[in-house]
Amino acid sequence: MKYTPKEIPEEVNVNVTRVHPLVNFAYLLGTTIGVSILIYLGLGFAAAQLTTRISPEMEIKIGQSLFPKGLFSSSLKNQERLEYVQELATSLQEDMGATRIPITVHLWENEALNAAIFPGGNIVVTTGLLDAVETENELAFVLAHELGHFAARDTLKGLGRSLVFVFVTSAIGLGTQDAGGLSAVVSTSGQLTNLHFRIRQESAADLYALEAIIRRYQHGGNSLDLFERIKVKDSRGKFEEYLSTHPLTQDRIDELNKIAAQRGWLMEGEVTAMPENISNW
Amino acid sequence: MSDLINVIIFLGLLALGYFSGTYFEQQHYKSIKKREKKTLYVPTVTFGAKQAMPEARDAALFAGSVVIGADYFKTFVSYLRNLVGGRVVVYESLLDRGRREALLRMKEQAIAWGATQVVNVRLESSNIGQQAGSNKGMMAIEVIAYGTGVK
Repeated sequence: MKYTPKEIPEEVNVNVTRVHPLVNFAYLLGTTIGVSILIYLGLGFAAAQLTTRISPEMEIKIGQSLFPKGLFSSSLKNQERLEYVQELATSLQEDMGATRIPITVHLWENEALNAAIFPGGNIVVTTGLLDAVETENELAFVLAHELGHFAARDTLKGLGRSLVFVFVTSAIGLGTQDAGGLSAVVSTSGQLTNLHFRIRQESAADLYALEAIIRRYQHGGNSLDLFERIKVKDSRGKFEEYLSTHPLTQDRIDELNKIAAQRGWLMEGEVTAMPENISNW
Repeated sequence: MSDLINVIIFLGLLALGYFSGTYFEQQHYKSIKKREKKTLYVPTVTFGAKQAMPEARDAALFAGSVVIGADYFKTFVSYLRNLVGGRVVVYESLLDRGRREALLRMKEQAIAWGATQVVNVRLESSNIGQQAGSNKGMMAIEVIAYGTGVK
């Protein structure tokens, strides 16, 4: 039998699937991101459902085990300020009827302008914030905002979601034994989903705060002045805004004014001053 | 901010892997096709146990082996593929190139020696450079082609 060399066909290679690598990649990436978002939403929803069943005693316990109390031992000179803020927070809490557990205010001696809520009804307020507020209305709005997170159990929900998050990413890391890119994709989609939750929570807390302010002072005047003042300093771009949880202050102010107009809430009124010994340091 | 930097580094590596990987693959295929045409006149065949071997004065063993590494893009896509399962398209071309290159290296040696044909050709492939029992480390495949050159 004579061997006759056969021409190799030029472009048909049966051993390589004829699909563009990028198309293939897009399909795989889409599937992975889609599924991880679904898992994350599902488990996150379950976590949120479970947190509403946590008893007040349990919530206090969780707060005690998670809250770094030692960090916020305020010095004696701040004692008066602390008492004042605590009183304001408690009375706001009573106004709104969100009294499943008492609120505890902690002062953090820090120049940053911030306030935060922790599990177990712990609110941390920086001395920088107290220095920056000029009227009680402003301070009350910030406290009521944190109270809004408390009333919606946002910290507990966040805790539940973090647990889900860690569980899912580590399960993927364990299951495929690859850290690298894959768990990065899954965790990034998870984080973006989480961001979506948190932005919604922020708007809800803002609304809650305004409602509390209206109940207490019968008007929303001056309560947003702090945001007006700090927005000058705020230079976040659109991209950073997307990645940050709090909306740009101007957007926040506009949104709240819009809602107030819709509901017929008064946005002007008499200013309640801070007590002398609190404001002048 | 550090998240953003990580994302940018990751995308950069992915793009680097994709573009360089595609470029080298195209170059490799060009070279493979050219050399396959050049060596086409020497048959590489397999004989059955009861078939008569061709007449030969001389015989020698020739082995061609090649190691080809995957790029970042291919590796990442294969991880994604591992989640859902299915054809790992990105590695198919890698193995295809490996087999053809190994055969070519074997044939080119045999032709240099003066072989009229290469009989009983075998192919073996394995992945190398990985730690036992894990997916960590370098992703590379080795393909060996060996056969008996006769003249």
